[in-house]
Amino acid sequence: MHPSFPAIRSTALATAAILAAATTAFAHHGWSWTDDGFFQLEGVIRDIYIGNPHATLEVDAEGELWRVELAPPSRTIAAGFTEDAAKIGDEVTAIGNRSRDHDEKRMKAVRIIVNGKTYDVYADRVPPA
Amino acid sequence: MAEILAGIEQLALVRALKASFVAYPIVNALHIISIGVLLTSVIFMDLRIVGAFRSVPQAPFVALLRRTALVAFAGAVITGLLLFSVRASEYAAKPVFLVKMTLIFAAGANFFAFALISRNAGDKPASTAVTVLAILSPFLWLCVLFAGRFIGFL
Repeated sequence: MHPSFPAIRSTALATAAILAAATTAFAHHGWSWTDDGFFQLEGVIRDIYIGNPHATLEVDAEGELWRVELAPPSRTIAAGFTEDAAKIGDEVTAIGNRSRDHDEKRMKAVRIIVNGKTYDVYADRVPPA
Repeated sequence: MAEILAGIEQLALVRALKASFVAYPIVNALHIISIGVLLTSVIFMDLRIVGAFRSVPQAPFVALLRRTALVAFAGAVITGLLLFSVRASEYAAKPVFLVKMTLIFAAGANFFAFALISRNAGDKPASTAVTVLAILSPFLWLCVLFAGRFIGFL
């Protein structure tokens, strides 16, 4: 039997359809998944991850657990926020952009303030003084 | 299971990779290279099986591309395990990661089914069953790629 190229063509079309559907999903890389305006979160640090691919904090804000995404570790550490900068239980203020989906307790921080010190992990994006 | 995943994250090599500014992007790049070679060899192999590039002798072409695909897959597994290891518990809890693993399993099953059916087929034209598997193969691997990319975005 000689196999048909129409079959391959329909496979290609199905793949293209998946691609098109996929582009509507939001992304945690970059900023496209966040609101434009600045958002401020205050709470208590429950977990700290300083590492690849991104540094993150788990923050308890009035009983709600938030995921605060920081920059890649190189950038986060260059901003001074190392593993010694904060510990679990510390109070934190995170300023940045929250997820467009407000049901999702997730934000990307450009500035975090812990123990009276300010760390600008995305210094080019911090709110004007 | 949770202890195993947490244990993986505490391995010395994994901790070094987690903190490294250089090694992690390199492993990431090697993973992309492996995926690129794997997808390319799979697509060309399957196109030849379903009847494209008839001027190229099928048996040696498919044998070469299959070897290439297997080496690339091994590379993707090794680099993929390293990328997974830095946040093993986090990734293991992500639905899209589990979808990707299921798709890899399906693509692997497809490969073994193909190998079984097409044994001793030589240069004879492909049977219907072989053609179906050969069309399914690049489709499954492309789905693996898309699922994998979405791990970083969902």
